[in-house]
Amino acid sequence: MRDNTTNNTLLALGGVGALIGIGLLFTFERPPIETVQGGFRGTSMGQVYNPRTVNRLAAVNQVPPAPEPADPGGERARDVFQNVQVLGHLSVEQFNRIMQVMTEWIYPRENIADGCNGCHVPGNFAAEDIYTKHVARRMLQMTMALNSTWQVHTQEVGVTCWTCHRGQAVPAYVWSQQPVSSNGGGFATGPGEQNRPGRQVGLASLPNDPFTPYLWRAEEIRMQGRDQHPRPNSRQSIQQTEWNYALMMHMSTALGVNCTFCHNSRAFSSWEESPPQRLTAWHGIRMVRDINNTYIEPLRERFPPHRLGPLGDTLKVNCATCHQGVYQPMFGAPMIRDYPELLPPPEQRRAEAPAPGWVAGPRLP
Amino acid sequence: MALEYQYLFTRVQVRGPHYKGLPLPPGHDVRSKGGRFSHLLGKLGDAQIGPIYLGHLGVLSLFFGFIAFEIIGLNMLASVNWNPLLFVRDLFWLSLDPPLPQHGLKVFMPLHEGGWWLLAGFFLTLSLFLWWGRTYRRARALGLGTHTSWAFLAAIWLYLVLGFIRPILMGSWSEAVPFGIFSHLDWTAAFSIRYGNLFYNPFHALSIVFLYGSVLLFAMHGATILAVGRFGGEREVEQAYDRGTAMERAGLFWRWTMGFNATSESIHRWAWWFAVLTPVTGGIGILVTGTLVDNWYLWAMERGFVAAYPPIATPDPYLTGAGR
Amino acid sequence: MAVLTFEKKYRVRGGTLFGGDLFDFWVGPFYVGFFGVTTLFFSVVGTALIIIAAAQGDTFNIWRINIAPPDLSYGLALAPMREGGYWQVITICALGAFISWALRQMEIARKLGMGLHIPFAYLTAVFAFFTLNVIRPVLMGAWGHGFPYGIFSHLDWVSNVGYQYLHFHYNPAHMIAVSLFFATTFALSLHASLVLSAINPKKGLPVATAEAENTFYRDLIGYSIGTLGIHRLGLFLALSAGIWSAICIVISGPFWTRGWPEWWNWWLQIPIWRGL
Repeated sequence: MRDNTTNNTLLALGGVGALIGIGLLFTFERPPIETVQGGFRGTSMGQVYNPRTVNRLAAVNQVPPAPEPADPGGERARDVFQNVQVLGHLSVEQFNRIMQVMTEWIYPRENIADGCNGCHVPGNFAAEDIYTKHVARRMLQMTMALNSTWQVHTQEVGVTCWTCHRGQAVPAYVWSQQPVSSNGGGFATGPGEQNRPGRQVGLASLPNDPFTPYLWRAEEIRMQGRDQHPRPNSRQSIQQTEWNYALMMHMSTALGVNCTFCHNSRAFSSWEESPPQRLTAWHGIRMVRDINNTYIEPLRERFPPHRLGPLGDTLKVNCATCHQGVYQPMFGAPMIRDYPELLPPPEQRRAEAPAPGWVAGPRLP
Repeated sequence: MALEYQYLFTRVQVRGPHYKGLPLPPGHDVRSKGGRFSHLLGKLGDAQIGPIYLGHLGVLSLFFGFIAFEIIGLNMLASVNWNPLLFVRDLFWLSLDPPLPQHGLKVFMPLHEGGWWLLAGFFLTLSLFLWWGRTYRRARALGLGTHTSWAFLAAIWLYLVLGFIRPILMGSWSEAVPFGIFSHLDWTAAFSIRYGNLFYNPFHALSIVFLYGSVLLFAMHGATILAVGRFGGEREVEQAYDRGTAMERAGLFWRWTMGFNATSESIHRWAWWFAVLTPVTGGIGILVTGTLVDNWYLWAMERGFVAAYPPIATPDPYLTGAGR
Repeated sequence: MAVLTFEKKYRVRGGTLFGGDLFDFWVGPFYVGFFGVTTLFFSVVGTALIIIAAAQGDTFNIWRINIAPPDLSYGLALAPMREGGYWQVITICALGAFISWALRQMEIARKLGMGLHIPFAYLTAVFAFFTLNVIRPVLMGAWGHGFPYGIFSHLDWVSNVGYQYLHFHYNPAHMIAVSLFFATTFALSLHASLVLSAINPKKGLPVATAEAENTFYRDLIGYSIGTLGIHRLGLFLALSAGIWSAICIVISGPFWTRGWPEWWNWWLQIPIWRGL
C-alpha cells in the first residue's frame, strides 16, 4: 500500500521530469558546428558558429545587384539641376544613378515615381517641403564621412544607404531612450532600467540602455585599473562595470561574435593581449558617437513625432544598425566599390578631418 | 553486484515509535509534539520527520529572515508594477540592488535608492546571527562540541565580507552584492572583470581548491563508508574510539591505494578544514580585492606567474595617437 | 611501518581482475596488481612527456609552464609533437593512468570485501575529464578545443571558454553544477562538524551517541538524515556536481553557440505570458 503510493509518486515525478527534460532539449542547438581559431592554440580564443544560423544570416545579408557604373564625365549635376547641395560634384549620369539606387534601397516601390516621392515633392524636385529630404541630405554627408574620415572603421567594406536601410525607410535596428517601465510604488529598486530581460543586451539582466552613456554621451568605458594597486581618484565601481558589460553584450550580439573576437579575457584591458579587431571596434564606438551626435540627434527638430522615440529623442544608431548580426556588414562584401558616388568629392577628402569636441580626449596612462 | 545490496537506498524500513530525542536539561523550551514518517525520505536516510525545537532564538531568527525575504520579494514585485505574472516570468532577472554609488556609506537614504537593500541586509544578518546562537545553544544543550557553529561562522564571514566589511573598506555600499538570481551572477562577473581577472587572485585559487577538495573528499568519504556499509561503517563515532573491521578495511583501502589513510575521526577533521577553509580563503580573496589589489592580472605579471603566449600586440590607440 | 598491526589478516591473495596472482603483491604500503603496473607506466611516461614538453617551452616556472593542444586546423588528426602532439600523447597517458587507477581501486575493493562505490565515484571524475578533452573536442571537430596543461594557462582557457558564450553564469547546467559544489561543501561541513562534535563533546562529558546526533539535527531543523543517509547524500551531491560540470561544458559549443543569457529566451516565449 505504502510502496504503491511511493512508486506512484516516483513515477509521477519521473514522468514530469522526463517531459520537462524532453521539452528543454528543443531549446538547444546541435552539432556539427563551425569554429574559427582566434588566438594562440589552447587559449580557447575564437568564434563558435552554428552553420545553420550562418546560412540564415547569409540569406538576409545579401548585397543587391549594382546597376552599370555611370560615366563620371560630362556636365555636373549642380549645373543641370536646381538646389543640389551635396551631390553637385557628380556627373549627371552618376547623380541619376545614385538617386535611383537610393530609391531602391530606401523606398522600394513598384512604381519608381512613388519611391521618389519619399523625399521629393512630385513635379518639383528642388522643393524643400518634405522633411525626409533634409534627413537624406544629412545622411549623404554622413555616408561620405563614414567612407573617408571613418575609414579606420569602415575599411574596405564601406558604407552605403543599404548598409543600414536594407529596403526600409527606417532602418530595422535603431535605438532610442525608453521610459522606465516600473513606477515602483515607493519600492523601486535599482539605478536606471536594469534587472529585466534586456533584448538589447543579449537577455542578460544587465542595464538595458548602455547606449545613452557610451554611444551618445562619451562616458569612460575602460574599467580595469592600469596599476596593480588601487590609485586614488581612478575608481570605477562594480555598477559602472555592469554598464560596460551591457555595452559589450550589445556589441557581441550585434556582430554575432563572442568576447574573444576582440579580447583575451584573461586581461580584457590589455592591448598586447587583444586581437586586432579590438582596434577596429574601438574606432567603431567613436564612429557611432559621431553619427549620433553630429548627424542624427541634430535632426531632432526635423523629424515628425512618429519618427522619434517615446521620450522624444531621435532613433539612433548602434552596432546592430549596420552589422545586423554579422561580424562585418553583409559578411564583408566591399559594396562601396560599386558606388563611388558615395565618396566625398576629392577636394573635400582631406579637408574634412574633424576632431569633434565631444569625443573623449586621449587619456594617456 | 546487484544494486539493492550496494547501500544506495534503504530496502526495508522498520517503523518503531517516533523517537522523542534526548531529554533537554532544565532552562530550555520544549520541542514540538508529534511528527511523522516519510517513506520516500526513508529510502535515502532516516524516515522520521520532527520533532523540532523552536525556542526564542529560532523563532526570532525565522521572523527576521522572513522580513528580509519579504523586503526582497516585495521590492521585486514592485519593480514589475505588482504584476504577478510578470513577476514569475522575470523572477530570475529581478533584483534588489545595493545603494547607488553616490550614497557612499550613508545609513539613511531614500528607500528606493538602496534603503530597502540596507534593511534587507540588516534583517538577514540579524537572522543569521540568531541562527548561529541557536546552533551553539542546541549543541551545548545536548552536551555536544560546537564545531557546527564555528563552521557556520566561516560561512557568515564570507557573507559579511561581501556585503558589509569590504563595502565599508571601499567606502560605498554600492560595492556589495545585489539580492537576485541573475543580478548576483552579473555582480560576480563584473567583479572579476573590474579587478583584472579573479583567476589570478591566489586566495580565490585557494578557495576553489578547497571547494573542489571538499567535493572530492565527500565523494571519497561517502563512497568509502557506503562501500563498507555491510560491516557497519556508518557507525563512525563508535569506530573512532573502538575501531572495527569496517574502519580497518576502509583505512586499508586508501593505504593500499595511495599509501596513506585517515581514521574515522581524522577524515572528519580533514573534511571540516577543507569545508571551512573554502569560505575563509574566499573571504580573504574578496576582502583584498579593490582594497589592496586593483588589477590581479597586473599583480600576477609583476610576480611572474602569468603564462606567456606569442604576442598579438595590437597597438594601444591611446598611445599611438589614434585616440586623438 | 609498512604493515599495520591488524593489516596482516587482510593481506590475502585474490580479488584481481586481470593477471591472476602475477602482480598480486604489495610494495611498502602500496598494493600493486596488474593495474598498478599500468598506472605506473602511464604516469611515468605522461610525466616524462610533460617535463620534455616543458623543456622545449620557454620556462620551467611551474606556474607558467603551458602544454597546449594543437591548432584547430589539425582537426581530429595527430599533430607534430611540438605543435600539440605532446598534449595529445599526454592526454592518452592521463586517461590510461586514470582508468588503470580506477581498475586498481576495483581490485583493492574486491580484495577487502568492499563495495565498488569508490572506483565508480572516481570514474565520474574521470568522465568529466574525458568529456572536457575528448567528447567535446570530438563534437566540435578539433582536439584544439581541449584545455591546455598548465596551472594558470588552463585558467586562461576556462576564462576564454566562458566569454565565448558571453556570460557563462547564465548556463543552466553551470548554475546547477556550482550549486551542487556549494551544497556538497556545505553538507560536508555539517557532517564533519556533527561527527567531530560527538567525538569531542563538551569538556567532562562522555562521547555522544548517534541519538545525540539525531536529536541535534531534529532540534535544529526538524530532520536528521541519519548516519548512513548523510553518506548517501554526500556521495550523490558530489557525483552530481561532477556530472553537471561535464554537462555544462559539453553543451557549450556542441549544443549552444551563442551567449548563454540568450538561451533563456525560451522561458520568455512561453505562451502563458504572451502579451505582457
